Parts: sequence; structure tokens; C-alpha cells
Amino acid sequence: MTQESTRKQAAPMSEAAFTLLVQGVLDYGIFMLDPQGHIISWNAGAERIKGYRAEDIVGQHFSVFYPPEDQASGKPQWELETAVAEGRLEDEGWRVRKDGSRFWANVVITALWDEKGVLRGFGKVTRDMSERRAAQHALSERRRLFDHLVQAQETERRRIAWDVHDDSIQAMVAVAMRLELLADRVPESYTAELHRLDASVREAIDRLRSLTFRLHPPGIDRHGLIEGLASHLADVVGSSWGMAYTFEHQLDREPSPETAITIFRIAQEALLNVHKHARGSRVDVRVASADGGIVTRVVDDGTGEPMPQDGARDHFGVIEMRERAETAGGWWSMHSRPGTGTTVEFWLPNPRPVPATTPEPAKDAP
Amino acid sequence: MTATAGRPGPPLSVLLCDDNAMLLEVLSEVVQAQPDLEVVGTACNGEQALRLAYRRQPDLVVLDVRFPGGGPSVAREIAQCSPGSRIVAFSAYDDKGSIEQMKNAGVFEYVLKGASNRELFAALRRAAATR
Repeated sequence: MTQESTRKQAAPMSEAAFTLLVQGVLDYGIFMLDPQGHIISWNAGAERIKGYRAEDIVGQHFSVFYPPEDQASGKPQWELETAVAEGRLEDEGWRVRKDGSRFWANVVITALWDEKGVLRGFGKVTRDMSERRAAQHALSERRRLFDHLVQAQETERRRIAWDVHDDSIQAMVAVAMRLELLADRVPESYTAELHRLDASVREAIDRLRSLTFRLHPPGIDRHGLIEGLASHLADVVGSSWGMAYTFEHQLDREPSPETAITIFRIAQEALLNVHKHARGSRVDVRVASADGGIVTRVVDDGTGEPMPQDGARDHFGVIEMRERAETAGGWWSMHSRPGTGTTVEFWLPNPRPVPATTPEPAKDAP
Repeated sequence: MTATAGRPGPPLSVLLCDDNAMLLEVLSEVVQAQPDLEVVGTACNGEQALRLAYRRQPDLVVLDVRFPGGGPSVAREIAQCSPGSRIVAFSAYDDKGSIEQMKNAGVFEYVLKGASNRELFAALRRAAATR
């Protein structure tokens, strides 16, 4: 490139060229208002966003872009006054297109003064944020749906657990007690058989009890994730399965109840897999804040043999773990190598509670 | 026949508290069949339990943990209105939290529903021995 052409490029842009540039911008509505708020210029972006051609709109007051409720409350005038007082005003809110439909706009109004300090008007830049807003909405909707799903699932599990406890187990306890009583009363030739019967009923009671424990582990909703996991490790992994374990946790804040339950459920399933398949003697569980969420790792020292995928229940367990994590907006992975054990690792976002959203406008807004 | 503790003297009076009618009935039969134990009342809610405990001053109370009125709080109130009674929790729950709550409420023994009758009798006799 010659020195001559370089100099040409660096030369200040002429006013005409600048006007052309502004007029051609499509992503932003850029236009000017006179000191009273009448539109005095228009660009392609403004036409695209608002639907007016220059000849339709130049000369009109900019309050036509505001919904009637904002017009009634004097918002357009107030915005100009604020821009005069503070030099600039930025606002995000509903605006109205030519056809009456609304869009979510980001608006910046800048007061323009001449060299003598006289107000010459306003520059106004409008961006259509509807898509971004819709995306945010979709995200928080999804979150709400997820929370609802988790709550519904837990409520149902709790209900089943209570029913099993209060009804099925009690009925079987009554049967077992009566069988034992009967065994003491019948001729000796029947005693052995009755004792065997009694033993199977009591074993069924144990199984039902551990089912209810899995369905609704006591403690998780009263004491939170860490305590819930700690008592699961102590009561089930340590006491019942007789497996050595370590538990490390480092959370910068307590997760929402739904996130806590999801982490607990996945960890519970991963631990069950270790118990059933890993043939290991210990398991290490770690829960830590990471990347705006929580990463959980369940590592065993088992054979590292790939988990049998043929059993429907086991396969379902893997699918369930992954689905739970992904529904929560996170990821899940399981990797194992023969001889070094298996690692189940998953990350879930830990969002703060969803804030109340701006109410939607009436459908047939003017 | 089931071996008894061979305890001399009058049988130990027992109050049975469970909100499951079927279980209460069989519990009653099973306990009554023991020569050294005598059922002096059955209750299916907290109010009944307290009334009977106060009136009968039983040696032993078998108390469900998930009991209408709340197992732990009924246990505390029984201890007040019948200080000589020894309470044995009889529960379908074996989690630490439930066990601790009942022990803190002053129960002497915690028997899991599903344990054998013999284990229940043994717990009752152990509790009675502390009197």
C-alpha cells in the first residue's frame, strides 16, 4: 500500500460519509430528535426495528414509540428531561412498532449541545433486545420447569416412602409377629417351617425399609446436601455395605434444594453402582464449587471393569444419572480403566433463585 | 413356649401405643402371651397415650416413633405424667436422626419394627431392669 493511500484512509471522515454510515447501520436504530422530541432523522436500522419509513415518521413526536401506559405516565418527557439533566439516559423496556406489536428495547438518549451550550436536540440509539430477552426467558422457564420436576418427583417419592412405611411395612411386621407367636404354639413338627416363613417375611421387611430409605433419604431436605450425603455415606455405604469411604466438600454456598436433591440422587446411584459392580473396598466422594456450579466426583478403587450394560436396571441407572444432570443444565461422565477403578463425575449449575420477571404486555397493544 | 426372664413377682404392666390398629392388636396379643408382661392399655394417639399413662402409671410403654402427636414429644410428656414408666421406642425407621430424637426424648430402648418378638421382649425387660 502506498503512503498516499494510507494517508487517504487516515483522513477524517467527511460529514456526508458519516451520515451515510449511520444511515446504513441495520442492527441499531439511530436517529435524532429536536429539543422538543420530534424526530428529525431516521436510519435503516430504525426502519427495520420499528417498521416506519423515514417519510412516515420524521416530524412526529418520539412518544409514538412508547406503549400507552408509558405515554400516560409521561415517561417519554421524563426521559428527555433526565437526558438533559444528566447528559445521557439508558433504559430497557417495551416499545411499540408501527404495526402495534411490542419489542423489548435497549434505548440510549444523549443530549446534544452546541458550542454555545444551547440544547440542539437528542441522539437516540435503539436496540431490539427481544431475542436475547426471549432466550433469557426460555432459560429461566427451563430452570423453573426443572425445579418443578424435581420437586414433583421428590414429593411423589416421599409419598410412596410414607405409604410403604405406614402401611406395607406395618402390615408385614404384624404378619411376622403373629408367625413367631404361632411358632411357639404349634406342634414342633411345624415350628421349623413357620420360622422359615417368619424369616422370609422379616427379610422382606428389611428390603422394604431400604427401599424407603432410597426413595426418601431422611435428612436431605432438613439438613441440606452435605449432611444428607454425609449420613448416606455413614448409614448406607459405611454401616450397611461395610465399605471404606472419604468425603471431601468445599462449597462456597449451599445449593438450591432442587440442585441439592439432584446431586444427592446422582451420587446415590453412582454409589449403588460401586457397591453392586465395582468389587472395590473404598470409595472417595468429593463435592466442590466450580465454574459457577458444583462438580461432584465419585471414585472407587474397584476393578474398573466396564459396568454391565445388559441388566435393564443398571442401564437405567446410567441413563437416569445422565438425564438428571443434563436436565439440570449440567454434564455427566463415567470413565473406567481396568485396574484403576471407575470415576463418575458430574457438574451442575448452581443458579441463584430465579428473580420475578417483567409481566408480559397485553397481546393487542396499540 | 418363649423363655421368660424368670422374674419373680407380679407381671410388668405395659402400655402399647401405635396408630396402626392391626399392629396394635397383634402387639397386644404377643406381649400378653408373655407370663411376665401384662398389657394394661392400648393407645392409637398421643392424647389416649397420655391419659392411659397417667391413669395406669405402667412399668413399660411401647411407643411408635411416627405417632400422632409426635413420638418424641409424646415420650417427653409420658415421662412427666408417669415418671416411673420406662419407654421403649418401636419404630419402622432406623435412621440416625429418628434414633437420636427418641433417645434425646428419654426412651430407654429403640427397637426396629421387623426385629423378632424375642428382641422386643428382651428390650422391654432391659428397660424394666433400670427401674
